[in-house]
Order: sequence, then C-alpha cells, then structure tokens
Amino acid sequence: METLFFLIVSIVAIASAVMVIACRNPINSALSLILTFFCLATYYVMLDAPFLAAVQVMVYAGAIMVLIVFTIMLLNIRIDATRRHSHMIFFGSIVGFATLFNTVYIVMKSRAATPATTVNVEALKAGHTELIGREMFTNFLLPFEITSILLLVAIVGAVVIAKKKI
Amino acid sequence: MFDNVWLIPLFPLIGFLINGLFGKKIKNETVIGGIGAFAVLCSFVVSCMTILRLLSLPIEERLAEVKVFTWITSGNFNADIAFLVDPLSCVMIMVVTGVGFLIHLYSIGYMHGEEGFYRFFAYLNLFMFSMLLLVLGNNLLLMFVGWEGVGLCSYLLIGYYFHKKSAGDAGKKAFVMNRVGDFGFLLGGFALFWYLGASHNVWTIQFTEIAKNSHLLPTGGIVTVITLCFFLGATGKSAQIPLYTWLPDAMEGPTPVSALIHAATMVTAGVYMIARMNFLFIRSPETLMVVAVIGACTALFAATIGTAQYDIKRVLAYSTVSQLGYMFLAMGAGAFAAGIFHLMTHAFFKACLFLGSGAVIHSMHEALHHAHSHDDPQDMRNMGGLKSKMPLTFMTFLLATIAIAGIPGFSGFFSKDEILWQAFSNQHHGSLNYLLWGMGAIAAGLTAFYMFRLVFMTFYGESRITPKAKDHLHESPMIIVFPLLVLAALSVIGGYIGMPKIIGDALGGIPNYFEHYLEPVFRYSEEYLSQHSQHTALHPSHAVEWGLMGLSVLIALAGITVAFTMYVKNRELPSRFTATFPALHRAVYNKWYIDELYDFAIVNPVKAAGRFLWKGFDVVIVDGAVNGVANIVMAFAGVIRYLQSGFIYNYAWTMAFGVVVILGYYLFK
Amino acid sequence: MDMITFPTIDMTPILPEIYLSLLAMALLLINVFMPGRQKGYLGYISFVGVVAIAVMTASGWGIEVSSFSGSVIQDKFAIFFKIIFLLSAGLSILLSDQYMEREGCNHGELYPLILFTVVGMMLMACGTDLMTIFLGLEVMSVSLYILAGFNRANIKSNESGLKYFLLGAFSTGFLLYGMALTYGATGTTRIFGISGQLSQMAAPAANIMLLAGMLLMITGFAFKIAAAPFHMWTPDVYEGAPTPMTAFMSAGPKAAGFAAAIRILVISFPALQPDWSQLFWILAVLTMTIGNITALRQDNIKRMLAYSSIAHAGYALVGFAAGNETGVAGVLFYMLSYAFMNIGAFAIVILIAKKGETNGTVQDFAGFAFKRPLLAAVMSLFLFSLAGMPPTAGFIGKFYLFSGAVQQGYVWLAIIGVINSAVSVYYYLRVMVFMYMKNPSEEFEWATVTAPVALALIISAAGSIILGVVPSYVMQFAQQAAKLI
Repeated sequence: METLFFLIVSIVAIASAVMVIACRNPINSALSLILTFFCLATYYVMLDAPFLAAVQVMVYAGAIMVLIVFTIMLLNIRIDATRRHSHMIFFGSIVGFATLFNTVYIVMKSRAATPATTVNVEALKAGHTELIGREMFTNFLLPFEITSILLLVAIVGAVVIAKKKI
Repeated sequence: MFDNVWLIPLFPLIGFLINGLFGKKIKNETVIGGIGAFAVLCSFVVSCMTILRLLSLPIEERLAEVKVFTWITSGNFNADIAFLVDPLSCVMIMVVTGVGFLIHLYSIGYMHGEEGFYRFFAYLNLFMFSMLLLVLGNNLLLMFVGWEGVGLCSYLLIGYYFHKKSAGDAGKKAFVMNRVGDFGFLLGGFALFWYLGASHNVWTIQFTEIAKNSHLLPTGGIVTVITLCFFLGATGKSAQIPLYTWLPDAMEGPTPVSALIHAATMVTAGVYMIARMNFLFIRSPETLMVVAVIGACTALFAATIGTAQYDIKRVLAYSTVSQLGYMFLAMGAGAFAAGIFHLMTHAFFKACLFLGSGAVIHSMHEALHHAHSHDDPQDMRNMGGLKSKMPLTFMTFLLATIAIAGIPGFSGFFSKDEILWQAFSNQHHGSLNYLLWGMGAIAAGLTAFYMFRLVFMTFYGESRITPKAKDHLHESPMIIVFPLLVLAALSVIGGYIGMPKIIGDALGGIPNYFEHYLEPVFRYSEEYLSQHSQHTALHPSHAVEWGLMGLSVLIALAGITVAFTMYVKNRELPSRFTATFPALHRAVYNKWYIDELYDFAIVNPVKAAGRFLWKGFDVVIVDGAVNGVANIVMAFAGVIRYLQSGFIYNYAWTMAFGVVVILGYYLFK
Repeated sequence: MDMITFPTIDMTPILPEIYLSLLAMALLLINVFMPGRQKGYLGYISFVGVVAIAVMTASGWGIEVSSFSGSVIQDKFAIFFKIIFLLSAGLSILLSDQYMEREGCNHGELYPLILFTVVGMMLMACGTDLMTIFLGLEVMSVSLYILAGFNRANIKSNESGLKYFLLGAFSTGFLLYGMALTYGATGTTRIFGISGQLSQMAAPAANIMLLAGMLLMITGFAFKIAAAPFHMWTPDVYEGAPTPMTAFMSAGPKAAGFAAAIRILVISFPALQPDWSQLFWILAVLTMTIGNITALRQDNIKRMLAYSSIAHAGYALVGFAAGNETGVAGVLFYMLSYAFMNIGAFAIVILIAKKGETNGTVQDFAGFAFKRPLLAAVMSLFLFSLAGMPPTAGFIGKFYLFSGAVQQGYVWLAIIGVINSAVSVYYYLRVMVFMYMKNPSEEFEWATVTAPVALALIISAAGSIILGVVPSYVMQFAQQAAKLI
C-alpha cells in the first residue's frame, strides 16, 4: 500500500518537475513547481517528519511561490523562448544523466553499506516540532541566530537593488 | 671581524633610493651622478678594507659569515640575510665595486644631457646592489634574489631608450631568455635542497653547509641533474649556447651599461655561480663535459660571428660571448681558479674596450650631428683615422686589445693561456681535451683577428666621414678618459698576480698568487678529486707546455697579421673575399641565422599556437556548433568554444560537468 | 515536558562578529536618519571600527575558547584569518569613497554590507559546525551579490551581480548537498564529531556517501575560491563589479573559502587525505594553468587581474594539496600577502580609470611612469609581488607554498607551479612595459590621490615589502595558526 502510494507521488513529482522546465508559459511553470513542492511534502510525511512537511507547504508552496506567481502576473513577463541555445539541451542532458547515475549509485551503495536503523521511538513520542525546537535553542543556537543576520542582509539587499531612489 | 660587510650592498641601495625617489626633483646632474658614484665608491672602500682584513688572516681562517637577520624560517628550512666573506666573494666584490665605480664616473660624462639622467643612475645603483647581493649572499635563495635583481636591472637598462622599438624588443628578449635560465636555477636549487634533506636529513641552502656535507652526494646521478639545471641558469645569465642571442641585442642599451652589466659583471654571474658550487660540479663528470664543450663551442662560434660585424658594439658583444665561453671552458676543465682569473682580467680589458668604444661613438655622434649626417655613428665603416683625433682613447683601446688578443706580457695572455693549458691537461675529459684546446686556440686566433680588425677599421686609415664632420671629432672630457686610463693600466698589469706556474718558475719561482689565494674556496673539490681520481691526470712535459703556449701566441699573431693585411695594407682584400665567398660571408654576417632559426623553430610556433587557441577555435568550431552534434570532435570543440562565452548556462554547465567528472572519478575509481 | 537546559555560552569567540554586526546596524540607522547625499563619513566610521575590532581580535591570540556547544571556536587559525578579512575590508573601505563618488553610487548601504560580509567570512573561519560555516558562507555570499551589483546605473555591474548570484546559488546547492550527505554518513554536523566518527569507521574511504559528501563540499568551496573548472564566473563578475568591491572579493572571500575548506578537510577528513590531496593536486594544476594562460592575452586590466586571481588561487591550492603544516601555513601567509598586493594593484586601477570604467585597459598605463613616477613605482611593486619576484611578499608566499609541496613529495606540483609563475611574469611585465617604456598616447588626466586612497596604498605597499623582507615574524604566527590538530 505504502509502496503504491510512493510510486504515485513520485510519478506526479517527476512529471511536475519536468513541466517546470518544459512549459513555455511562466505561470504554468510556477504552478508546476508548487505541485512539486507538495509532492516533496508528502515524502516528508511518509518519512515521519510532519513538521518539515508543514514547513515545506507553508513556506515554499505557500509564501514563496505565491510571491513568484504574483510577480509574474504583476509584471506580465513574457519570456521570449527562442531556440537559440537549444543545443545546450544535448550537453545539459549528458550532465543531467551523469548526475542521475552518480546519485543513484551513491544511494544504492550507501543503502547496501548501512543497516536499516530502527526508528527512534523516543523521538517520535516527543514529537518533531519539540525536538527541533529544543535543538535550535541549545545545540544549534548560534546557527539559528545567524539566520537573523542573513535575513537582515537580504532585506538590505532587496532595498539596495530594488528601491527607486536611495 | 667582518661586521661591516653589510654596508657594501647597502650604499648602492641608499643611492638608488635617493636617486629613484628624489632624482626627478634634484635635477642637477652633478649631484645625481655624484650620489650614484659616491655610493659605489663607499662600497669600494669597504670592499678594500674587507679584502685587506681577509688577507691578514691565515689561509685556513679565510671564511666568515655575517648574519644580518633571519629571513625565512619554516620547519627545517632556514634562510638568513647573511653574507659570505671568502676569497672568492672578495675578488668579486673588488671587481664589481672597482670597475663599477669607474663606470659610474664615466657615465656622468657619457650620459650628460640625456633625458632621464636620474633614472639611469637609480637603475645603475640598483644593479650594483643586486649584483653585490648575488656575490655576497651566503645561501642559494639570497643569491637568487640578486640573480633576479640583476636580470631586472639589465632589462630596465637595455630598454633605457624605450622610444626605440628595437631597445624595447631587446629588453624583452633578454628578459625572456633569462627567465628560462632562472627557471633552471630554481629547479636546481629545489632539487638540491630536497635531495640533501630527504635522503640525508640535511636541510640547508647555505653554501658552506652544503659544501661541508658534499661528501654525502653521489658522483653523477642526481648531482648531474642538479648541476645541469644550475648550468642552464648559467647559460641564460652568461649568454652561452643556446641562450646567447640576447646579449648582442642588449647593446641597444647605453654603452656604460654594456660595459658594466653586459661585459664586466652581470654576465659573469653564471661563472661565479659555478665556481661557488664547484664541489657540486666536480662530482659530475658528465656536467663538466657539457660545460666544457658548450664553453669551447661558444668561444669559437661567437668569435666567428665577431669577424663579420660592422657595428662596433656588436663586435665587442660577440667578443664578450666568446670570452665567457673561455671561462666556462675553464670551469668545465675543473680549473675554477683559472676561470675566475679570466673573469677578472676580462672585466678590466672588456670594460676598457666598451668604454673606449663608447667614447668613439660619442665623438662620432657629435661629429655626425654637427654635419647633419644621418650615418650610423656605431658603424665601423663610417669610422677610420681616429688615432690622431682621439689619442688617449686610442692608446687605451690598443692596450686592451693587445690584452684580449693574448700577447705575452699582458693580462689576457696569462689568463687565457692558463685556461688553454688546463683545457689541454685536465684529468676529466680524456682525449676530448685536444679538441677543447684546439677550439680554444682557433678562437684565440679569431679573437686577435676581429679585435685588430676593429682597431684598424676604427683608428687607422682615412676617416670615411665628410670633412666637415671630421673637424668636429675630438677627444672626450677627462671624466670619460680617466676610467679608460685606469682600466687600461689594469689590463696591462692585472695579469701578473696570476702568472702560470711554468712562467713563474722560469722567472725565478714567482708563485701563482691568485691561485693560491683562491685555494681554500675549492678545498672540497680538491679533497674529492684526491679521493676519487678516475683518470690519472695527464702530465705532459714542460716542453709541451711551452710549445702549446708558443703555438697559441703564434696563432694570435697570425690573426693580427691577417687583420693588418686585410684592413691596413691591402684594403681590397675584404671585398674581394666577400665576393669570392658570398654565401659564407652572408652567413657569418647574419650571425649564422641563429636568430632566424629561433624565430622559426620556437618563437613563431608558440605565437601560432597562441593565435590558434584564441582565434582558430572560433573559426573552426562555429560551424560544428551550428550543425549540432553529429560530429563528436566538433561537439567537443564546441564545448571549449562555449567555455567563456558570457552565457550563464555555459558556466553552470561547466560547473556541473566538473562536479560530475570529479564524483564519477572518485566513485568508480 | 521538561525544561530546556541551555548550554553555557561563552561569547568570546564571536565577539568580533557581534561588534561588527552592531556597527553595521548602527551605520544603517545613521544612514537612514542623517540627511544629505554625502555618505563618505560612514566609510570613515566603519574604517575606524574595523581597525578597533582588528585590534580586539588580535588581542585574543593564544586564548583558545570553544563555545555554543562546539559550533564555534576561537583559535589562532580563526584569528589569523579574521585579521586577513578585516584587513581586506579596511583597505576596500578606504578605496570606496572616491570611487563610489565618481561613479555616482555612494550609497550609505555600502559600508554595512561590507561589514556584514566580514561577519559571514569570520563565521566561516571560526565555525566548527557545518551549519555555522554554511550560514556564514551564505551571509557572505548574499552581501557580495549585492556589492557586485552595487552600481545600479551600470549595466555591467548589474550583470555582474546577477551572474554571481545565480552561479553562487547553484554552487551553494552542491555545498549543501555535500554537507547533508556527510551528516547522513556520520550523524553529526560538528566537524570534530565527524572526525571522531571517521576514526571509528573501519574503512572511511570506502564509505561512498561520506566520500561523495566530501567531494561535493570541495566543489562548493572550489567555487568560492575560483578554482577551475568552477572559475568561470570570476572574470565577468570581477569586471562588472565596482572596482573596490572587486578588490575586496578577490582577497577576502577567497581567503574565507580557504579557511572553511582547510578547517573542514584537515580536521574532519584526515582519513581521506590521500583522496582530497590528489583532487587538489589536479585542481591546483588546472587552476594555475587556465588562469595564467588566459590572462596572457587580456587587455582589460580588471579581467587580467581576475584571471590572475584565479591563478593565485591555484598557487594557494598547491599548499593546500600538500596538506602539511608548511603548506597550510603557506596558504595563510599567501592569503595575507595577496590581500596586500592585490588590493594595492586594484587601488591603482581605480586611479587610472575614469567614470564608467573607461580607461581600464593595459594600454591606458602608457607613460604612467613619467607622469606619476611614485604611483608607477608602487604599482610595479605590486606587480612584482604578484609575479612572485623577490624580495616581495609574493615571492616568499609562493616559496612557502611550493616548499610545502616539495616536503610532501609533490615535486612535480612544485615544478608546475614554478613554470606557471614564470609564465605569469609576462602579463604583469606587460603592464610595466606600458608604464615605463611607452609614451602616453594622449593627454589624459588621472584621478587625484585622496587621503584614504593614499593610506590604502601605503598600507598595501608596506605590507608587500615587509612580508617580503622580514617574513619570519609574520610567518611564525602563520605557523602557529596552522597547527590545527
């Protein structure tokens, strides 16, 4: 049952990912991307990581993609998809398939090497949200704080790049 | 003991800083020149004090190292700013500062009124600094610093008249060829350091330490590799085959530069370096042979070219290359002292010759200028009859010419004869010795020929310029003549401190002071030879030695006679000669087409390859890219064409490709 | 539900970062609330701040503190690099005012962004946790993307920023993937923890996931230090970015990339050293050669210096490939010398060019020596140092790098390095030929030297000389810093 579900989700994920780059219309691309993100969130759920799944949906599919779609519509962007550089498809696909091959190899080999770990029941009981929260405020306090600097820089950057008059 | 030896390089450095930074503001030529010359004079005085103190010590204590400060330390590697005082470095500093000072004096007169006067003196002082660093440095690295420094100054000074394209090109050529040599030097240094360290745990680049541990080194093998690398460095700096073509072109620089850098000091750095590392070279019979053969070939080859040049400075340039060949011949014969001796006497007479030619050119230039003639003031075909116009210059020039020609009693005779004798009788090269001697002797004859040809064409006969211009020919001012006089005197008497043993014995037991003086420097080589003598030394009888000496003198005299016949008595001979053997003359005149050969074999292919990489790909590949991917070769070339296209997806693709290749290699290795 | 017990926190290791961030935020506020178009004074404030923070950072030398449960450390290695970052930032700030004024983009946001970049770089140098290092790298990168595109009116600058952003994001993907795989293989992100896990593994080199993680991290850092084949962004980005920022980018972030890569590889992956040494061997050769060969024919001075900076990354990789103490100390020393000489060279480029970056070619140096002998002499000094001619900092730096390689037995690598530096002499010399041996083609005015630029030139020139003549003083610090394990 789970395997079947996984297969269906995977097919949708791959198809939507292909759509992202195949669509001529940017709106369609963006919408396909949202679909991809949903599929990824489904994976997280299947991996017993509900918190990540929720974040995935809220932040990526929700906030970021909506912003992107808004921008596209607002600016009415028309991407002039000429086929000038279509030969890159060939070179690109070589590298793409090689990457795929490498990745598959890494995964297969690693899976063979490491025994299946037992599920940490303690962690499941405590709940991911709490666990992540704990880690963030203890062991990973510093990275957590640094993100605030990162956000500040991004905001300043956005102002510098986009504001009409500074 | 020698605590103030660091002052020797310091004075020229100060001179350089003053003239370099404030020269443009000072403007007054006397002050600028005075500062430059005075700095060198100070160094000369300190050098004199140093050598006197050294001589006052017993022979076995004549070695001192003066550390100024620690320069680099890293793990087991250590290099200090430290100076080595021993008989060899003392000879060198005496020659460098002594001749250097005279040439500085001369330059004040010679460069009078030139644009960028201060620049000239600043560079000259910087050169002195680097050269003194080179000869005084107690380790390989410091020597290399000086080595690079003199190369740089040489480059700057060759290109001094930068508005002349030929000057810039000559500078570039010199720099490139020297870089090839430097590369050899560096490799040799690395290899030596690494070998001693890795296999014997002696991590050092200090000359004295390497010498002390030289018994750890094998004969041949790695030592051959190391010494050949060093020798490559020497061929670049000292203009030996195959890297000699830059030196004649270097004559584009002002004449004092030619005298100082391209005759007396810098070009002898290669010889000095080999003498400094004699304990290495002696351990590789193969290298010694290469050095000897290259030296003999260069001596002969450059001498032939010298016979057909008309530019007075070019004749002297080829003569310098040829004489340097002699020095390398001596090094290759294991006669290090003889080589250094020739280095010294050569510095005297060649500096004198160059400065004399400078005086001639100066005078010719002014005369032609007054007559509004555009003839080349350096072309000997425009000269003639200068004897009466410039008597002092003529006298000094003649003395130096006799010295270089090897006429008995003059300095060049003693040193050259010693080299020829060592080439004949050394224990390293077996029957090759006869050939080496033969080449050296023929070169000596050619030297006498072309030098007297030069004298006869320049000073004898009738002047070949217009009478109007002729009236303007005059003797140079005292500041130019004085250095000539001193150098001429040295060319005459400088040889007596190093009389070959056989002559000394004949004269009642006068020892070869110079050789004895240098003995401690070559102690380790002597030790090695006494232990590993493979060939028994040839011991030809005294009769043979006298005979050979006589023969070489006869050859020299023959050369002079031919020159006299061709250029004084029977003036048509040269033209008839060229008419009879046009091909030969053209070949010699064109320097055996070596430059053209280099252009053809090296320079042009490199340029073409560069052009191909840059333009060729575009042309060749565009079609392939448009046609798609049918042809794999084309596709591959297309990848390269896109490498730096400015398109972001190309860059991203290259990155991804790199990642895939790296991952693939390591995962499936 | 039990209470969260916070680990004890010692702020010492990140004090410089904290002060820099505070300074940057203060400057942002000042910029907003102080009227007027002239924002040059912000530069002076930030310069003074940088100097003060540098003094404070240096005073921590010898005091080793690890904090935030092992996320961050203060050790000699980190301090040495922090000084390099502050130095390059300080010099670039000095150069900025005049240039930005001329280009008409002297916005107050510039200085806070530079300071934030330094914060990011510092976190990369002192982070001992993959997360910290990654976030530091992101802070640095995001700031740099903006700085590269800071001259908004200039299309080239826009292009520069955008290209840097897109490719940077791309490479960050690799880096992050590598970190994730490493975490997956070892179960920790602490770099000391990783090394502990590795020492327990029977054959860490056979662990594919770990190996792939390490390789991907290397490619991520290779992008930041502009190593071939991840170097292609460099010429375009360097050319378009405002010149002071180019100078900054070429010195600081490159050093930061090295700092993080060295710390991760030397501490976490000593077991895999044969692998990464070999990889860096190849990357070093590729990088040096591509950089130098391509630089040979560049006329645009900024592109030439960009390729030259690629080549210099290659030299530094030689020391990294050696992986021994001499080599690592060589990298540290080289990064410091490179900051001096390269920023100095860019300072002269700023003086040569006119508004809109016209006169940015090698030919425009024609006759410079006759008009401005002192500046030409200083430029020659920088070029000599870049070419690795003794007795300058560049020579000593290369010397240490190559001798590190020789000590490790990588004689060929050292030889290739020497050949490369011989090749590089040509294009540096070309500039000198134009300065000293060509007549100025036409009369044109060079910018006047303002006081800050003069100060920057003095500092860089002094650094290039002092590190060359008496390197042992600084080298001893570098050697202490290189004792990582």
